[in-house]
Amino acid sequence: MRVIDIEKLTRDYGSGKGIFDVSFQVNEGEVFGFLGPNGAGKTTTIRHLMGFIKAKSGRCTIRGMDCWQERCKIQEHLGYIPGEISFFDDMTGTEYLKFLAGYRRLKTANRMAEMMDRFELDPKSKIKKMSKGTKQKLGIVAAFMHDPEILILDEPTTGLDPLMQSRFVELLAEEKSKGKTILLSSHIFEEVERTCSRVGIIRQGKIVTLDSVEALRKRHVRAYQVTLESEALARSFAADFGGSCQGRTVTVAARQSLEDIFMHYYGGGDHDERDPV
Amino acid sequence: MNGTLYKREMKGSVKLLLIFGAVITLYVTIITTMYEPEMMATLDSFYEVMPEMMAAVGMKAGATSLIGFMISYLYGFILLVFPMVFCILRGNGLIGRYVDRGSMAALVAAPVRRSTIACTQMSVLVSGIVLLAGYTTALEYAVAESSFPGELPLDQLLTVNTGLLCLHLFLGGICFLASCLFSDAKYSVGFGAGIPALMYVLQMLANSGGKAENAKYFTAFTLFDANGLAAGETAALGGAFALLAGAVVLYAVGITVFCRKDLHI
Repeated sequence: MRVIDIEKLTRDYGSGKGIFDVSFQVNEGEVFGFLGPNGAGKTTTIRHLMGFIKAKSGRCTIRGMDCWQERCKIQEHLGYIPGEISFFDDMTGTEYLKFLAGYRRLKTANRMAEMMDRFELDPKSKIKKMSKGTKQKLGIVAAFMHDPEILILDEPTTGLDPLMQSRFVELLAEEKSKGKTILLSSHIFEEVERTCSRVGIIRQGKIVTLDSVEALRKRHVRAYQVTLESEALARSFAADFGGSCQGRTVTVAARQSLEDIFMHYYGGGDHDERDPV
Repeated sequence: MNGTLYKREMKGSVKLLLIFGAVITLYVTIITTMYEPEMMATLDSFYEVMPEMMAAVGMKAGATSLIGFMISYLYGFILLVFPMVFCILRGNGLIGRYVDRGSMAALVAAPVRRSTIACTQMSVLVSGIVLLAGYTTALEYAVAESSFPGELPLDQLLTVNTGLLCLHLFLGGICFLASCLFSDAKYSVGFGAGIPALMYVLQMLANSGGKAENAKYFTAFTLFDANGLAAGETAALGGAFALLAGAVVLYAVGITVFCRKDLHI
């Protein structure tokens, strides 16, 4: 079942900025990785989903509800971590979480304590004085505390140390096993590789590829055929390099890492040529 | 209305309310107790020396009753400008600043309608304005009663201050609309503070008389006629009503704009 459905979403900011004809779906219980270089249009797409901006052309829905028209209803079951965290600086972390629970009219913020323990968050200081990592943790707690069924996470591990990043990946795996639907925009390949079943890559506002992580890897496998002098030699070569052996001919595959695949789509060469300095 | 948001924002208003309350207390107490026939003569002599200066800040010679005296010396500058500054600061802080800084994301990323957010923020601004006006009225009456018992007719004071309240609701409406309209603090502050301040300057110009009097057609302050209100003149009451109606329109437009605008946060 489609939970998040984006169809031909276009928003032109002029001079090549914006998103163009973006279409993809995220199904129930799926973790979808949304990847792209800076300024590719990830946050613009997410703003549409959150109902912050109205679709100029195309449409996007969550559970069949229009993201702009029915934004209030959608938000009931949604958790969101903004790409750029900005809270009320004058509050302490504790006050902020308490405020949010009241503001959302939560009867119980049942996961607040659990999330604070998990990320070792000490929310007693003023938000203004918090480090980037601490603010990010506060953002995570705020997004998960009402135990939402759909999560839209815009680069959620920015500023977290590797230990906390890995705890976050664990958390996502747990949420996935509970059947939550997650849209994760990210730059960290490991994070995506470990959590996402499908990925969409956006570049210069257009979706350039949309596939499962496995299929993406397979498509980028390069196979080599090597012919050796004797069958015995071929057999041991096949054993050493993990290839398959047919007589004196051995086929070996070079598996690209996901990072290489992403770099391919991010487009090293031709992308850089666009903006001569 | 969202109670939690209202409480948070009212807490944010407290500091400003205390500061402006203190300033108003100081001026109202000092100026009201200055009411004395001999003192009136001194002030009138000031007026003779520099009539334009005195007229610009709304002070006219020859006010004989206590309420006339108060209108001359309080309702030309102090009770116009201080609540106006409160409107400017609070009006911008309630919507525009949050959008500019991105913290509005926390408010809209929740199952709370944008109209609820905007109405709550408007209520916070209106509550502040009403509190200031209510406090001013109570203070003026208390000071007048303790120094000159029976000299200040309560009904006249109430009429004048209701008009003053309408004026400030209107000015607050301008600030609130600017706050809803612009996503950039540069413009929301620019227009929210600029328009009311410009209107006050035009009012000063118009007061100084002569050709500049035509400036009165370009400022909302003209619609607040304190002397007319004290006398119960229909035109003055109509002016106050026009301000109130204008305020309602400004707030309604502000809320509608906020509900429909794109938030790049």
